[in-house]
Amino acid sequence: MKKYLELVWIILATLTLFAFLLGYLKIISTSFVAILLFTTFIKGQLVIDYFMGLKNVRLFYRLIPLVWLSIVIVLIGVAYYLPV
Amino acid sequence: MSQTLPLKERYPPGDFAIWIIIYVELVTFGLLFLGYAFSRRGDIAMFNESQLMLNQTSGFINTLILVTSSYFVIKAVKSITSMSEESVAEANAKASKWLLLAIGCGVAFGLVKGSEFYHIFGAGINLSTNKFFMFYIMLTAFHFMHVMLGSFILFVIYKKTKRVGYSFGDYSGIETGASYWHMVDLLWIVLFPLVYIIR
Repeated sequence: MKKYLELVWIILATLTLFAFLLGYLKIISTSFVAILLFTTFIKGQLVIDYFMGLKNVRLFYRLIPLVWLSIVIVLIGVAYYLPV
Repeated sequence: MSQTLPLKERYPPGDFAIWIIIYVELVTFGLLFLGYAFSRRGDIAMFNESQLMLNQTSGFINTLILVTSSYFVIKAVKSITSMSEESVAEANAKASKWLLLAIGCGVAFGLVKGSEFYHIFGAGINLSTNKFFMFYIMLTAFHFMHVMLGSFILFVIYKKTKRVGYSFGDYSGIETGASYWHMVDLLWIVLFPLVYIIR
């Protein structure tokens, strides 16, 4: 429990490596973009909750950045997947 | 339930004014992110071709640098907020070491980004080259300015810890600066996959 910040950092670094490898190895594909956006949401949520310290504040203040993140990620997905 | 929470946990950490700034910044960058994502639909081939000129390794290194710096900053904050009346000097000394590491990350980010800009601008690319590079330069340069400001804020906080300026129950300043820095990290976490990876 005491080492939760270290765990958060490890998850953030691992998901960042995952994103980089998708691009670097040129294996990014339509289905991978959805996974990449999902991992981006997880990373953002970890930063908001544990680094910004919003996990234990009034829900309203925690929801503002979380809703922002959700809207941005979903609309990026819409822009990517919507037929041109 | 909320009435039983201590006051400091009912509101975000730090001065509330910084949160107004953070919310405004999030909306501003959010619009730019969506501007990029929807503009891409107009000429996907050009965006994909232009993206190949970016150095993904630089973007990856800078993402690692920023998440690591955020870790250093929260460790500094925890050092201060968990101090007792007897451990004020020790807590300030510990926080200053974490902050120095975080400032080092800020400088490293600037060097990597500077080298990236050097190659991009050296290749004759500018804001009017095409829509991809207009967004790329706007987003990354605007974000870079935030990193520089954030590093300066961390430096000011670092100087205060060196003067043993934070005392028991008085740590709003470090929480305020840290919140700004984490916002800079959060923005890059969305920017990196959007601009460097997704194609």
